[in-house]
Amino acid sequence: MAVAKESHSTQPASDASMPRRRLLAWLSSVGLFGSVVLAAASNWFFFKPRVTYGPNARFAIGKPEDFPPGTRISRDVERVCIAREGNKLAAISTTCTHLGCIVGISDTGFACPCHGSRYDQDGNVTGGPAPKPLPWFQVTLAPNGELVVDKNSQVDPGTYFTL
Amino acid sequence: MSDATKETPGGLAVLRELPSNVWNSIFRGPLPSTDLERSSTSFTNFFLHIHPVKVNRNTLRPAYTLGLGLISLFLFLILVVTGVLLMFYYVPSTTQAYDRMLDLRGTVAFGIFLRNMHRWSAHGMVAIVFLHMCRVFLTGAYKKPREFNWVLGVVLLLVTLFLSFTGYLLPWDQLAFWAITVGTSIAGYAPLIGKQMQFVLLGDTTVGQEALLRFYVLHVAVLPAVLVLLIAVHFWRIRKDGGLSRPEKPADPVAATGIVKMRKVYGLQGFVRGPFTKVGNVPDDSVYSWPNLLMSELFVFVLTVSVILVVSLMFNAPLEQPVNVMHPPNPAKAPWYFLGLQEMVSYSAFWGGIGIPGIMVGLLLVTPYIDRGTKGVGKWFAKERLMANTIFLTLVTLNIIFIVIGTFFRGPNWTLVSPF
Repeated sequence: MAVAKESHSTQPASDASMPRRRLLAWLSSVGLFGSVVLAAASNWFFFKPRVTYGPNARFAIGKPEDFPPGTRISRDVERVCIAREGNKLAAISTTCTHLGCIVGISDTGFACPCHGSRYDQDGNVTGGPAPKPLPWFQVTLAPNGELVVDKNSQVDPGTYFTL
Repeated sequence: MSDATKETPGGLAVLRELPSNVWNSIFRGPLPSTDLERSSTSFTNFFLHIHPVKVNRNTLRPAYTLGLGLISLFLFLILVVTGVLLMFYYVPSTTQAYDRMLDLRGTVAFGIFLRNMHRWSAHGMVAIVFLHMCRVFLTGAYKKPREFNWVLGVVLLLVTLFLSFTGYLLPWDQLAFWAITVGTSIAGYAPLIGKQMQFVLLGDTTVGQEALLRFYVLHVAVLPAVLVLLIAVHFWRIRKDGGLSRPEKPADPVAATGIVKMRKVYGLQGFVRGPFTKVGNVPDDSVYSWPNLLMSELFVFVLTVSVILVVSLMFNAPLEQPVNVMHPPNPAKAPWYFLGLQEMVSYSAFWGGIGIPGIMVGLLLVTPYIDRGTKGVGKWFAKERLMANTIFLTLVTLNIIFIVIGTFFRGPNWTLVSPF
């Protein structure tokens, strides 16, 4: 052991060897730390699904005749409210912008059962903790005559689809 | 080598000595009757070597610790055992999970009882871990050199809450679904990465099959592993930080004269190897772990298990209607320990769900690094710590008030109602 101690003495063998050791130590630290960061980043990509198995964001809701003027019905599976006034039709989200509960249709518009947010007929916030109005979704008419709602594309509130 | 010259026993003698030979091969020796043997329980027994040879009398005072840390551990053990048993009958599938809950009630032997034990232990663990934190704060036990163990404790509380939260979804009933919908939406309010985090946590944009699977894996594998590791470090630190906190010893009158100087510090081996214990020669506040500490632990264990058994026999764990994605219950409420959070969230989602809880946890984490005073350790409600204790109790009371409001004073659409 004495020999080993001699050769690994704390005194530098030469002036040149210390910076080299420090550089190597520094580089290996960067390498190790970099691997940790890469591993963490890979985990993020692993856990973020590329495809989801949930319901389709673009879906048909039926023919225009199914929604006579004055209709205001909530489609809870797709979480949209279909509102028709005259020949204008809109799809308003029924997912509360506060914490994601499904808002119900009330006399004055929409009401959330979870934390008491209230919205008017157009989805503007009238009370409670909701931070944003309910989004409106794009409605189009498919070639087969069915109305299609696309939850991936939002439109400005008040933008109706004219039949 | 006198053994070698002995005649090897044969025939009937082997049979006669068999039981004692087996016993001694497992336990190495008889029950301890001398101090040396009492010490050796801590070295030679795998399950007991977590104990020090001797503990301070203060550690064993029930009125000081209230046994809260131990109760938390034992509740966790009950949760592991009942949880593993429940796993044999559970399927993390949106179409099957709820039916499996009904099967636990109807067909599985002791199924409902195991589920009750698991549920009530989980509630108990959240409450007891919180009370344990209060005890440690109010006795000033987080002070130097125990700062980091306090930090570990705060992390343990958070992991406990997250474990409880992930377990909440698994029955796939109305309560579960909407509590998790609300809870994960709160995560969505975190700045910058909130929405991404919510998406990764749920594996989808809404709570569904992917979320159930993810929460299941977190609940049965990831989080328990993290918790076990942290508990191990937490316990190890207790030993390495010098045992449980205790009041400062009054100065030894003999030593105070300065005539006699302590020259030797006795190590563990010092008094184990010697013919006599040297420890008894000076005034000593400690007692042997065997049997004093062991018996206290056994008592707390039996008490904890008994309470959980009785409660599980008397009350059934709630199970609501199966998930109806279309109709949230009104009002939709989170588990009681999150109702304070939900109440705050009803004022502002960001401040109630992220801002204020974040500040609270941050304050808890840095407490031992801000409060550097050394006075008043090891005493409940010490006068020297009046300000720290007042601030802490105010925040605890506020939290409890919010929980009470959320639990009893909130009705449909989260409007104020009177429970009376």
